[in-house]
Amino acid sequence: MIHEEISELLATYALDAVVSAECADIEAHLERCPRCRGELDAYRDVAAALGNSAAPLPEGLWLSIVSRLPDSNEEPSPMPRLFHDAVNGTDAARPRQRHLSSRARFGVVGSILGAAAAAAAAAALLAFGLLNAGHTPAPVQAAPAAPASGVVAALETPGHKVINLGNGSARAVAQFVLAGGRGYLVSSKLPALGRSETYQLWGVVNGQPISLGLLGQSPSGSVFTLAGSAASSQLRITVEPSGGSVVPSGALVASGLV
Amino acid sequence: MHDSGEASDAQLVTAIARYSEAALAEVYRRHGGAVFGLAKRVLSNATEAEDVTQEIFLRLWNQPDRFDASRGSLRSYLLAQSHARSVDSVRSLSSRRRRENSDVDRTATAAYDLQHEVWDLSLADQVASAMNELPKEERQVIELAYFEGYTYVEVAQLLRQPEGTVKSRIRNGMRRMRAALVEAGVQGVDAS
Repeated sequence: MIHEEISELLATYALDAVVSAECADIEAHLERCPRCRGELDAYRDVAAALGNSAAPLPEGLWLSIVSRLPDSNEEPSPMPRLFHDAVNGTDAARPRQRHLSSRARFGVVGSILGAAAAAAAAAALLAFGLLNAGHTPAPVQAAPAAPASGVVAALETPGHKVINLGNGSARAVAQFVLAGGRGYLVSSKLPALGRSETYQLWGVVNGQPISLGLLGQSPSGSVFTLAGSAASSQLRITVEPSGGSVVPSGALVASGLV
Repeated sequence: MHDSGEASDAQLVTAIARYSEAALAEVYRRHGGAVFGLAKRVLSNATEAEDVTQEIFLRLWNQPDRFDASRGSLRSYLLAQSHARSVDSVRSLSSRRRRENSDVDRTATAAYDLQHEVWDLSLADQVASAMNELPKEERQVIELAYFEGYTYVEVAQLLRQPEGTVKSRIRNGMRRMRAALVEAGVQGVDAS
């Protein structure tokens, strides 16, 4: 096949929908044509987006994968060092070695099984009663962690909303799920603040920002109530003094439409 | 100092090349749900999707060098592998028996990553929106090819359309999708 014929087939090839007899010609052409490789990569990004969906992983699947990895008698290297080395390249010349014992494997498994719980364990119940602009916002309370099932239930609630809060340079620096009168901060890429400051979350109702609570210096998972502010058209995060503010006074670091 | 949760996908693959199971575990945490979800969507069978997911992660463990970060995200790479393997499986099943043996409703609960699930849901909304904007003819051929595992020749037979028409619709649809996703700020599917 000539270049034009291959080029016409690349989108179909990215969907794995060419007939097998054509694959060899396409792959041989890709080896020598950087333009087609670039075009294929672009189509594959689209295909990956099409196929990108959230699916709960079956219990036991990870154990099954781990059980099929080659076994070893060597002791594991501690994780932090591995990644430190990977970043700095200090052990780049080290040959690939098998080094994890079964015991270590199950430690890893344990960390995976705890991932969902860990996401929730980081959660702190935000102070309620912050919905009137005349009240002084209460600081974050050291409250029981919200169960992971709460976020899962929110995601399964009909009409739930996933809100990405972005800033000028990033599309999503914080992600929230809103459902059933509650909101959940699920992830945040906001940098840690000093002790004298805190992130504060606001809901915009009829054009007026109303405090939904303090997110602390290094936000992770949090849950807050939307009672009385369900009509928020926008969520915003600002940097405020550590005690919080009645009205936004600091820098707006993220916002997103509800 | 980095831990697995902070490492980039490329760093994780580097660590996997050094036999770090913790790195593989982190990749599984980040992308396992998407790999499994796509396989289940194509195969309509959770058990077979588990087999595909296992195979994809074992392949990453055994051949980490096959991932080329300069050609796309790890998520895209793993999804491409999952899709190709699933389609192979679908085409090997006699009379596409998967359609009669569907168990897509099987419940499965385990460790999955809320942060990435939310990201995936957000991305899925944008992709669904972009798909809905496509002309029906383009959307139809892409869905039959990608999610049902038909070749373009089979799609042409199903729709009684010339093969050239199907190829053109797939290409035009994919281009339109790409433009819509780029406009929406979705470039690749790297959720890390």
